[in-house]
Amino acid sequence: MLFDSPAYFLFLIPVALVYWRLPHRAQNILLLLASYFFYGWWDWRFLALMIGSTTMDFLIAQKITAGRTDSNRKKWFVLSLVLNFGILGVFKYFDFFTGSFSTALETLGIHHIPLPLIRVILPPGISFYTFQEVAYIVDVYKGRLEPARSFLDYGLFISLFPHLIAGPIQRPGHLLPQVQKDRAFDADRFFDGLMLIFSGLVRKCVVADNCALLANAAFGGQFGPSNFWIVLIGTYAFAWQVYGDFSGYSDIARGSAQLLGFHFIVNFRQPYLSHRLQEFWRRWHISLSTWLRDYLYIPLGGSAGGKWKTSRNLLITMVLAGLWHGANWTFVVFGAIHGAVLAVERCLFPVKTKQKDAALTQHSVGVFSLWAQRILTFNVLCLSLVFFRAASLPAAVQFLAGLSNFAWRTEYASAFFMLGLFSIPLFVVDLLMETSNQEYPFANAPYAVRTALAAFALVILALFSGNSLNAFVYFQF
Amino acid sequence: MPSSTSSSKSPALVHAKVLLGICALLVLFFEICADYLLKHDSETYGRVSQQYAEAVKVRPSRSGEPASVLMVGNSLLMEGIDVDRLQELTSSKMRIYPIFLEATGYYDWLYGLERLFRRGARPQVVVLGVGVNSFLQDSVRQDYAPMMFFDVRDVLGVASALKLDRTATTNLLLAHSSVFWDTRSVIRTQVLRHAVPHCRELFTLVKSKPALPPSSELELITLARIQTLRQLCDAHGAKLIILVPPTRSSEDAVRQMAIASQKVGVDSLVPIDPATLSEKFYQPDELHLNSEGAALFTSALATYLPVEIGGPKSASSHN
Repeated sequence: MLFDSPAYFLFLIPVALVYWRLPHRAQNILLLLASYFFYGWWDWRFLALMIGSTTMDFLIAQKITAGRTDSNRKKWFVLSLVLNFGILGVFKYFDFFTGSFSTALETLGIHHIPLPLIRVILPPGISFYTFQEVAYIVDVYKGRLEPARSFLDYGLFISLFPHLIAGPIQRPGHLLPQVQKDRAFDADRFFDGLMLIFSGLVRKCVVADNCALLANAAFGGQFGPSNFWIVLIGTYAFAWQVYGDFSGYSDIARGSAQLLGFHFIVNFRQPYLSHRLQEFWRRWHISLSTWLRDYLYIPLGGSAGGKWKTSRNLLITMVLAGLWHGANWTFVVFGAIHGAVLAVERCLFPVKTKQKDAALTQHSVGVFSLWAQRILTFNVLCLSLVFFRAASLPAAVQFLAGLSNFAWRTEYASAFFMLGLFSIPLFVVDLLMETSNQEYPFANAPYAVRTALAAFALVILALFSGNSLNAFVYFQF
Repeated sequence: MPSSTSSSKSPALVHAKVLLGICALLVLFFEICADYLLKHDSETYGRVSQQYAEAVKVRPSRSGEPASVLMVGNSLLMEGIDVDRLQELTSSKMRIYPIFLEATGYYDWLYGLERLFRRGARPQVVVLGVGVNSFLQDSVRQDYAPMMFFDVRDVLGVASALKLDRTATTNLLLAHSSVFWDTRSVIRTQVLRHAVPHCRELFTLVKSKPALPPSSELELITLARIQTLRQLCDAHGAKLIILVPPTRSSEDAVRQMAIASQKVGVDSLVPIDPATLSEKFYQPDELHLNSEGAALFTSALATYLPVEIGGPKSASSHN
């Protein structure tokens, strides 16, 4: 059930209406059943996998807590990690690694080695719920979290439908207590939830889907053989598509959660206003980047071991982050570019505290320099997004090879105009939100103004949405 | 009942209710507006609904009368055939009932024809011309077709045949029953045409062209699809003719399609070999014939179609 489809709202509205009439435990039962229904709407076969995986981690967490010795606790902890990443590996990466191994053998002249391929469809949301389960197990093992006593609570924490398919990845310490405690109806938060849903729908259906038209045409070859202008249209359009798409998804997820009395962490904070890639990752897909920081980068040693070890850890983290997005070498290269640039940035600009960093951007650097750095960072990001978007490495290289050809067609001007029509409003909204630090545009305006804005958003949706062929980009991950 | 931090008179709750009410009213308003605009301003709807109404009334001709021919297809026929001229040239031999809707393919017409037959259409001949790529594509047009060509059972049939997921099936069902949902992409295109300079040229350029499957699969798919269409037409007493309009660089695919038709005993008509048509007969998109190409194609069709209608089942290629 896609968040931008009528089916989702036909599901959400009755669930929310019934939900607020029930006591706490019945609310949780309703949400668990609704979440399983939501997940099964895609494919009932994968429901068993998710329930099995949830049950396994619920039981292992109990064992870890009950373990009398450290070695016993560690045994259960390692078992959980092996099982979680094993399931993820089999479903998401098995064919990729087998295929790559087979290609490598053929390159070495070794042919006809029969290697098994399982050719299964990727279960929806598996990367997201696996990371959430791993976070839970790690937190329980480290003693940062008491294990859930009720399977109902834990099952709901993993499968709560607003975050189930594409996050935001919820931290156990943030969401699990919300599941366990009574949730009171808060009209302000309910209204904010509605506004977030409208904001998300506009980002996805208006900005992302229209930019997707241009990005798909540029990468799909409809504009003709790649050249400088096509690369520009394709990468910029894709940058705004993927941002509108995923931030829109996250807004709808957060809005839906708020309608049910939950609070999800903010997943995007104006990422294209970053003046460095380090800052970009503090603003983009925050739930994933903080997960990677806390559960991968820091356990690897973080920045504690000097310049080279820090660079190594950054590179490993970002390559794995790239691979998390999908089983393709394009994602590995995407991650490697980010890891390398982050390592270079670390050497050139030693890390500062957030406060100092903010002060730097606002005062000491100067407006001109700040915007120059923002533009540079955005273009480095766009370059890496070529690998994120292209179907294969040769396709990405071929696409970029067109940069030296400047042949112009009049249709490109229309494409740039259309790109501006849909991306500039989102950019302006980001500038507004950067200065106001709000969760959605005009969040502090009077209710009547916000109601009018939401109605206006619906009109914009009616006029400019209509490209129903684009599922959310992050649903494939 | 769980505790609440807000009373029913809280301004947030009042405005949330107002907002939901406005949403409901706007949805109703969009539906009424879309319905009005469709019936009063849409050239496509006006043309296709009129053609459809005529086609439903088509009956087998009596002895000595011209044969009734239902001719269905997409923009390749719409741009490539001057129907009035074709009718004029062949008036003694056939009476043509065209339904042309752009961007339609095999599945649109398989289920579209089923519904036409269900509604009583009884042509003697069905001529289907969508081009090789559209004949092989696995999709249906998301606007107009669900509303104008399909009943609910057809939508479910399409969803099953295309292995659509539940969300896509629901969207298609909604497009069948809501004018606004069906035409929202048309509305967007119209708005963009006013907002973006040279939008028509841009959209022509960015429109994705369905790719042909590998040639090993091409024949199998073509065979199965022609067979299904033939069974449908046979069941309603109609003769099926696959008309293959010329498109640039499609010589191989056209030949394979003609061979596949022959294998299942269906007439296929290739009035003009695409290899013989130079660039000057095509529009800038290199897909559709221009007026010069259309005149040539219409004339060739007027020569060969009456022969096919009367003649034995075969694959005919003429140039």
